[in-house]
Amino acid sequence: MTQADWGELSRILFWPTTMLLYLGAMLASMYAHAFTRVAREDGDTPVAGRRGQALATTLAAVGVLAHLAHLVTRSLGSGGRVPWGNMFEYSSVIAFIVVAAGLVIFQWRLRKPQVMSMLLLGALLTMGAALLVYTEPGPLQPILNSHWLKIHVTAIVLAAGVFTVAFVFNGLHLLRDTAERRVAASRQMAGSTVGAASASDLVEQRPDGRPRGLADPDQDEFTEGVPQRDAVEDGRIDDGADDDRAYGLALRATINPWMLFAGSWLAAATMSWVWLDITRFLTVNTVFAGAAVMAWWLLPNLPTAATLDALTYRTIAFGFPIWTFAVMAGAVWAEQSWGRYWGWDPKETSAFLTWVGYAAYLHARATRGFKGRTASIFGLGAYWIMLFTYYAVNLVIVGLHSYA
Amino acid sequence: MAHVGVAGAGSVPVVSVTEARRDTTDSAEPPQANPPVRRGPSSRPPVVVGGLMAWRWLTRMRTALYLLGALALLSLVATVVPQAPNVPATVTAWRAGTEGPGVLVVSLIDLVGGFDMYGSALFLGLLVLLFTSLTACLLPRYRAWWRIVTRSQPPTTRHVRDHDHVATMVTALPVDEVEHRVRRALEGRRFRLRAPTVDPSDQPRQVAAEKGLALREGGSLLFHTSFWVLLVGIVLGRLLGFEGDVAVVEGDAFADTEISYSDVGAGRWWSQDDHAGFTLRLDEFEVDWYRDVRFGGTPIVFESTVTITDANGQSRSDTVAGNDPLVIDNMRIHQLGWGYAPRLVVEVDGEIVHDAHVMLVQAGDAFIGVVKAPAAEPDVGFEVFLWPYAPPGEGGVPQITGAPWADAPLLAAVEYRGDLGLDGPQRFDVLDKRGLEQAGGAQLRPGARVDLGDGVVISFPELRRWVGFQVSSKPTLPLLAIGALLVMVGLFPALYAWRRRVWVFAETDSATGRTLVTVAGRAFQRPQAFDHEFPAIVTAVRDATDADTQETAHDPG
Repeated sequence: MTQADWGELSRILFWPTTMLLYLGAMLASMYAHAFTRVAREDGDTPVAGRRGQALATTLAAVGVLAHLAHLVTRSLGSGGRVPWGNMFEYSSVIAFIVVAAGLVIFQWRLRKPQVMSMLLLGALLTMGAALLVYTEPGPLQPILNSHWLKIHVTAIVLAAGVFTVAFVFNGLHLLRDTAERRVAASRQMAGSTVGAASASDLVEQRPDGRPRGLADPDQDEFTEGVPQRDAVEDGRIDDGADDDRAYGLALRATINPWMLFAGSWLAAATMSWVWLDITRFLTVNTVFAGAAVMAWWLLPNLPTAATLDALTYRTIAFGFPIWTFAVMAGAVWAEQSWGRYWGWDPKETSAFLTWVGYAAYLHARATRGFKGRTASIFGLGAYWIMLFTYYAVNLVIVGLHSYA
Repeated sequence: MAHVGVAGAGSVPVVSVTEARRDTTDSAEPPQANPPVRRGPSSRPPVVVGGLMAWRWLTRMRTALYLLGALALLSLVATVVPQAPNVPATVTAWRAGTEGPGVLVVSLIDLVGGFDMYGSALFLGLLVLLFTSLTACLLPRYRAWWRIVTRSQPPTTRHVRDHDHVATMVTALPVDEVEHRVRRALEGRRFRLRAPTVDPSDQPRQVAAEKGLALREGGSLLFHTSFWVLLVGIVLGRLLGFEGDVAVVEGDAFADTEISYSDVGAGRWWSQDDHAGFTLRLDEFEVDWYRDVRFGGTPIVFESTVTITDANGQSRSDTVAGNDPLVIDNMRIHQLGWGYAPRLVVEVDGEIVHDAHVMLVQAGDAFIGVVKAPAAEPDVGFEVFLWPYAPPGEGGVPQITGAPWADAPLLAAVEYRGDLGLDGPQRFDVLDKRGLEQAGGAQLRPGARVDLGDGVVISFPELRRWVGFQVSSKPTLPLLAIGALLVMVGLFPALYAWRRRVWVFAETDSATGRTLVTVAGRAFQRPQAFDHEFPAIVTAVRDATDADTQETAHDPG
């Protein structure tokens, strides 16, 4: 096969093969956990749920293999170089890492397959965005062919993938947190007897009546950055399925999907203008807003806000050192190829800004008054800045880095 | 759920430890990052009070977050607004109003120094505040960390059964022996222990242990301190460093002295004697591209072969390439730009008025430059355009392509006569056309010689290339590398080290005469990790004390 043939094969493997497999896996996974509660640990999983989950896992695994084949053929089609040299390839690799890491971590290690559907959604959005900047496979410029470049790009892609996962958790946390607060507030206003579920859904009680995990029993210090540990597992274990369902529906009822759609549409618009292309602008915004509404539909089945908050923190704490290292590796590369380690090139600035954004998130989480929702908003802002790095600088602003 | 071996209520009396009063040596949280800014009556002079309040304000984490946010905002503006040090031409166009958002917005941007954001007073002022804030936060934390490491010890607990993780067991060993063995087991797991109780008859006996506090806080301190290392490295680098650009045509050489360079950026503490004093000759510049239609124009190689002669007169041959700077003594040589350099000979009335390689820079499809020959009377000037690949098409008419490879170079020279205006300041790469009149022009292939009339003859004997080198001295690069390393070394414990406490109570059960052992634990970070660690600790304690689990009731929570 010629290079051109390999390139064509890699394109077909990307779209439609991998993307359709991921789409199928996502839908199967959503079906499985949204409508049949496979996530329950008590063993009474309905057959349909088990089958849906098995189908989702199989499709996702096959999708990962197809994606890997895409990366390999892409490399062959570009004359044997590593397949991350331009924006399309970065996006593709990010999506690959998201799904592969998700399968390993959530599917097999943590046994939380319900997270997969959200990760697949993130990967699909990334891949869809990648198609918008599709470039034929080809050789890299010699300036881009350096060990430090490979280290820099690999690390930055990995960190970006991790931050993408964190963004999904982050967004879901804000959504679920809003719903939980509204439910709690409405119950407080209406008295404790309204609704099928009781306040014990939210905070588990100790045998002596004090809520668990809220404070040190010696009460000398407050615990920093630790989610309330029992809420982390599942805030509503002891309730019957009916209470559970009523609580879930109450959560969903607190948020107006139309408002959510409009809000997310506008939020996406602050980013998607960078394509300077009305079709893409509308598509991206609508897909993103659609994803938000889908998350709204899944609200009852989402993990609790505390779990999502902890997941966000842990994911960002995992990605942050990688990003830090990547920025430093980039400085080493800049020193090698441009004769200066830092020049406030737009892309360098934005990488630094992303770093500042996530550093601010980590600090906000340890700061009184910023904890919780405010910190979460910092996290969303940091991801927005990262996307700005990724697209606006490449496509709109001309700097040394504009090699896309 | 990880509540291991919880005894049923009533089997153990609720333990209360009389001597478990808060002790001055108790290990505590590092100082809060948000000390309250107190207002109110004070006997101190208002200046002192104001200064203290400003200092306290600076030491608040909140303030640091605001400062970070403000810096981020300015940088965000700087990614959108062109920066004069990077793209001066665009800034000029914005100021002139030919590009950009218009004169009104531009004047607003100028007001905050937005065209050189990173050199603006606003940005540097915020940076100074941020570092002051950082220092103000760090100083008390160093002291506290030192105290944690040297003088503090884990506090006792009063409510052992109220912790999230509790396990009980029974052993035949006496209390003293249990305490001794538990201490050894916990020390083996690298826990810090509280000094043993003074009174040996005390019951119950409590072992308090802690792990991870000093490491986590120490990592955080190292991480934040390393920014000072980076700052010192950057500032010292500015003061001690040197940077200069030089452009050389193939076959030519330059010497490492200040006068060789254009765009010299020398630090305040840099002196002439610091130059390495080498001579560098550019023997050949190799550049090539993929000619394949699919990848058309993607470069394959940019590499300069040079002969470098050091100050002692020793010569060697070496290469400088895109990602591969040449290092000689303290100087680093980077290959940054390149272009074509046709040799152009201009004769006026049989006399040679210009014979040199003209360095052309790439501008779109063509490489452009100018020739200035003030020796002629009146002055002669040329605008020069070179298309590297312009093969003859139908009827011999050159087909201009955008390809950069010099397989069929075509040079166009536009002749001007008059006054070049060399008495005033001017740019070397642009003709000042105010005193000039266009006189003629010609298209030349290499080797051609064209009579332009009026006694002017131009010839194009050969085509070479030129390379732009940057020569720099960056003495603080190793310091910056160390700073970067410290950032990473500090970051990992700061994020992943976690603090947890374990208490073990040992008490003689008066009914059976056996010893009742209660293990309690609490994680301050990463509770999920503690869910895994606590059972292992319980097992270790059980093995060490030859105990049996008294009762294994699963915690319903």
